[in-house]
Amino acid sequence: MTGEDGWVDLARTRRLAVTTAVVALLVAPVVVNTDGWFPLSTYPMYSSTRGVETTFVTAQGLTGDGNQRDLTPSLIGGSDDPLLVVGELRAVLAAGRGDERCAEIASRVSSRDDYGDVTAIEVVAERHDNVARTRGDDDSLVNREVRARCEVER
Amino acid sequence: MIGRIVDHAAPAERLAALRIVVGVFVVVYLVGRSPVFLALADRPTDDFDPVGLLVPFAAAPGGAIVITALVVTLAAGIAATIGYRYRPAAMVFAGGLSFLTTLRSSWGQLLHFENLMVLQLVVLACAPASDVWSLDARRSTRTGRPGPIEPSTRYGWPLAVASLVMVITYVIAGAAKLRYGGIDWLDGETLRNHVAYSAARLDLIGGNPPLLAELVVEHAWILAPAAFVAVAIELAAPIVFIGPRWRNSWVAAAWLMHVGILATMSVGFPSPLFGVAFAPLFPLERFVRSTRRWIERRRPFRSVAAS
Repeated sequence: MTGEDGWVDLARTRRLAVTTAVVALLVAPVVVNTDGWFPLSTYPMYSSTRGVETTFVTAQGLTGDGNQRDLTPSLIGGSDDPLLVVGELRAVLAAGRGDERCAEIASRVSSRDDYGDVTAIEVVAERHDNVARTRGDDDSLVNREVRARCEVER
Repeated sequence: MIGRIVDHAAPAERLAALRIVVGVFVVVYLVGRSPVFLALADRPTDDFDPVGLLVPFAAAPGGAIVITALVVTLAAGIAATIGYRYRPAAMVFAGGLSFLTTLRSSWGQLLHFENLMVLQLVVLACAPASDVWSLDARRSTRTGRPGPIEPSTRYGWPLAVASLVMVITYVIAGAAKLRYGGIDWLDGETLRNHVAYSAARLDLIGGNPPLLAELVVEHAWILAPAAFVAVAIELAAPIVFIGPRWRNSWVAAAWLMHVGILATMSVGFPSPLFGVAFAPLFPLERFVRSTRRWIERRRPFRSVAAS
């Protein structure tokens, strides 16, 4: 029934029915096995088995003498959130727009004086031994593939 | 357990306190994350991969819509938090947050730490959380309408549902590890690889590596019991309904688990880390009353000291 202030004061059976419906709604993505019903979810984060090696996409700067220089998330993706930057870069590469993104990164780098030694950008897919890399081993790189390359114009 | 939920009675102040806690948290969250939400307006529409309620839409909404949604959601959030025109304000607040977080998740990167926050806000928006401690309550007092103040299921049931949503979320997350990772998830190697993966990913994108990632990868023996404990905590979430001691123990364990995830993987779940996800479980109004009494006790002391 509806109270005089407009809020619904439900009888016990109706509260029970609504509670059951809430449970069913929350469990539904698990039954259907989908993670695309945000904000409902199967919460699969970090639930799968994972091997030691992973291929990551990222972007790196190249200096005039050919050395690599790490960039920041805000230079790579225009955001300080690394997870968002990685996800977006992966989507961009999957859509075949690596060159376009490379040019955007080069444009951001060109406006930064502290990256004045960077003359080119490479968008790369690198396969690493993650355990070795986390331990600080220098030989964690298994494979490196350049997906896009562009010059930094100043 | 179902009886504890549908028959749960609570004072109006408890639900109102949850309104304030969740409202303040979500408004601050939206302000802090506003650059992320505003940046959605500039994203290439080709990358749009809609989820949830945005699935029917072929194209991402324009920049003006995103900016308007953020401003309106913030305004509604402030109104709902102070209890001004609560019912429409809370609906708009929950709807706006759902829209913004769904939109943020619609670009191929599901982060999962906003789900529970959205779900609990939706529950709160459907509840009479402004009967006390609100501008609406002040206005109704002035116009002679008495506010219902007796503890009842009217206030307790929504709190129990918000708690249930949190509990089910954790159980599903725990079950997912066994469902997708199998029993191997518990041997510690999978968890070590996840920790190392998170650290390597951050390192390669130019972020700061997690504080304790290197330490736990070096001493990986600790991760087998840690994996078991993490799954046990998640699956044991329903014990919060047994009683206060069980509730407190579980909340402490879950909070420490999130601290551990943050320290080893740099993955922060803001709502649990700030305690907001667990807030529906607690008699928040007692904290408010204790704080008020503490302030009132200090006032005369201060005035005497000043003179």
